Amino acid sequence: MADVHYTNVRIFDGGGEAPFMGEVLVQGDKIARVVKSGHGARAAAVGGTRVVDGAGAFLMPGMVEAHTHFSWNDQPTLDAIQRMPPEEHILWCAEVAKKYLDMGWTSCVGAAAAKPRLDVVIRNAINDGTIVGPRYLAASQEITVPGGLGDTTQPHLPQSDFAFGAIVSGSEEMRRCVRMFVKWGVDSLKINLSGESITGMASDRCQFTDAEIATCVEEAKAWGKRVAAHARSCNSIKRCVTHGIEVIYHASFTDSETLDLLEQHKMEHFIAPGLAWLINTCHHASEWGLTPEVTRKMGYHRELEAAVETMKALRKRGVRILPGGDYGFAWTPHGTNAKDLEYFVKVVGMSTMEALLSATAWGGPMMKMGKSIGYVREGCYADLLLIDGDPLADITILQDKSRILSVMKGGEFHRAPPLRSMRTTRWAA
Amino acid sequence: MDSSTLFTNVRILDGTGAMPYAGSVLVQGNRIRTVGRSSAALAPQGATVIDGAGATLMPGMCEAHTHFSWNDAATLAGIQTMPLEEHVLWCAKIAKRYLEAGWTSCVGAACAKPRLDVVTRNAINSGQIPGPRYLAASQEITVPGGLGDETLPHLPFAEFSFGVNVNSPDEMRKAVRLFLKYGVDSIKLNLSGDNFTQDSPADTNWMSDAEVAAAMDEVRVRGKRGTSHARSAASVKQSLRHGIDVIYHASYSDSESLDMLEAAKDRVFVAPGIAIILAMLYEAEPWGITHAKAVGMGYMHEWEAAQESLRAMHKRGIRILPGGDYGFAMTPHCQNARDLEFFVKYLGMTPMEAIRSATLYGGQIMMKPDELGVVKDGFLADLLLVDGDPLANLSILRDPKRILAVMKDGVFAKSAEIAAQRRWEHAA
Repeated sequence: MADVHYTNVRIFDGGGEAPFMGEVLVQGDKIARVVKSGHGARAAAVGGTRVVDGAGAFLMPGMVEAHTHFSWNDQPTLDAIQRMPPEEHILWCAEVAKKYLDMGWTSCVGAAAAKPRLDVVIRNAINDGTIVGPRYLAASQEITVPGGLGDTTQPHLPQSDFAFGAIVSGSEEMRRCVRMFVKWGVDSLKINLSGESITGMASDRCQFTDAEIATCVEEAKAWGKRVAAHARSCNSIKRCVTHGIEVIYHASFTDSETLDLLEQHKMEHFIAPGLAWLINTCHHASEWGLTPEVTRKMGYHRELEAAVETMKALRKRGVRILPGGDYGFAWTPHGTNAKDLEYFVKVVGMSTMEALLSATAWGGPMMKMGKSIGYVREGCYADLLLIDGDPLADITILQDKSRILSVMKGGEFHRAPPLRSMRTTRWAA
Repeated sequence: MDSSTLFTNVRILDGTGAMPYAGSVLVQGNRIRTVGRSSAALAPQGATVIDGAGATLMPGMCEAHTHFSWNDAATLAGIQTMPLEEHVLWCAKIAKRYLEAGWTSCVGAACAKPRLDVVTRNAINSGQIPGPRYLAASQEITVPGGLGDETLPHLPFAEFSFGVNVNSPDEMRKAVRLFLKYGVDSIKLNLSGDNFTQDSPADTNWMSDAEVAAAMDEVRVRGKRGTSHARSAASVKQSLRHGIDVIYHASYSDSESLDMLEAAKDRVFVAPGIAIILAMLYEAEPWGITHAKAVGMGYMHEWEAAQESLRAMHKRGIRILPGGDYGFAMTPHCQNARDLEFFVKYLGMTPMEAIRSATLYGGQIMMKPDELGVVKDGFLADLLLVDGDPLANLSILRDPKRILAVMKDGVFAKSAEIAAQRRWEHAA
């Protein structure tokens, strides 16, 4: 790969400081040099490098999506996702993986796949260059219980292949299930601790026994894997903390005891609320029969209010809240994920700086890559976005593909900056 | 308005067998609008003009015997044991490579799992992945013990088999119906054996007439095509008796089979796939197949027979097409244009006839004889811009650097290098 020298860029380095004008030299897959400079100043290019004059554009770390479902296929129901045959499904995942990278998500944390090996295969195919996509941590299917969220079998169609999730009942079935996913090569096990109102299992319940949860965590840890939980209810969030489940998805309902627990253990957990799902299910799903009246009856409006209060409280307590979540349904289509940052600002009350950091500085540890990504700093991987405009002034520009001028992952342009046509270059003047 | 591309200053090799001439070709939308003998045509407003600087413009080539799902492994088991998800991504990757190598059409000859070909074709047609025009095949249908039956005594499971095993006309009908349900364009029957599988060598025959008849009965009901793996003379004759249009291999012949082929020459296509025979004889040692071993497996006997058979077929005007069994370790994908050289070297074709076998005949085997395979007004714009003269040196057609541009359906799958250079120059 050719070395790249970004000049004349406004650098947001991921450390929380105000952006500064400067230059960034990328050598190989890493950032070799970051230099502050005066406005318009330009250093001599290093020989043989490609120079990208950013003309003052905003250079920031690639973003990390903390709750990704490549295999959700923009359909309105779990059943409609599950019914896509595996051949079509893997091509779909490949297409979506590219789309995420197009939109500036240079890393994604898989939160569950719709068939056993989809996530693993996509991760491997990205890593060996068969397809294009972000850095990726592969998840299992959702592990659930009979009748729980993810059990889409029918009385007359009890075959496990009909189920959206992997259904277990009892500790030993759980152990076997975890081992199977580990055998396929997942990075994390996803367990559905709470229900989900749209599936008829209320969000404020916990559907697993402590013994089953303990077996899941024990077996995952024995293999060095991470556990992530679908946990909307208060008691399911508490179980995440008591059982050491690192990634907590949703975390809608809390009480003061739960908030205290999360605060005490805040560096051991990541929260990805997936607010987009709640907001859009409540307000933008009428086209699919989910009018606000219907979703109010389901309890989603109550949950949205609770979730917003929880996130506000967690933010004040310094618990790490990350963007991403449940994009891939009909009313939360893939590629619109940066809406989460807008919601963080407008609904949760984060500053635009906090919202950006949630997608960058906290992304590194979420990806198990520490501080090697998420920063524009010497020695970090060159996962870089060049943005037309200032996300600190208007966070919504990150939702607009045309404003994301270029996407670099590991020192290679996935999308190279668009070049001015000859007629508009400076020698016209 | 549709986008337009004007190729000027090109040497047009039109694919019909006519000698090349200097001219220009205007593409509008997905079709060739006009082919002119003037090298300096006027471009319509807004057209992309490509000055070919004397390069050859020829029809996109057609691979008549394609196995996207063969994964460059040395054995059938090595292909079959690739898991489904990886296999689909493999097929997608190979489809793109074929297109970029200049194969704008491919005829699926069998896939390694039931739906791989169908899904790849559909994904190409919907624009999800890049790839050639494609006719999707079934798996190989075989009988217990025949080529493609990879089950083992202690592992009798159907999923373990490379092909689909059937064992009666009724089972055949059921298997064929299932593939037709999935949406295949053709049904592949393994009528003869193959020296690759020593328990069912090339000159043996495996399927009963009743089984073949049941298959072709279903194929006709759905308006699809039957294809056969037929190395032996008897299997070629069986193919012809039952109305199979595409005969793969046809290594062995007798005067009766040649007469039957000649009588059916307006409907039948032969894609011999001789590359695999030559590779097994001379290039397979890294995979444990020494020349002596290949001779022992019967490949030399078959090769001598095949040259004789195919030369006779060519003389009788039977259409012989390139492609075949690329996708093994010893015949890796995208070396397919070697077939054209082999046709000249071993079958007595002229280079022009070899080109025609990949172009004019390609449009015919793709079932689009009146709109594909020739550089002609109104035809589909599947075009290659080639650096050099393929008639003087066919090997340039398998050199990616010499394939300057590939257009399929009016859209560049590979753009001329010059345009890219111009973009990069002004990057800074």
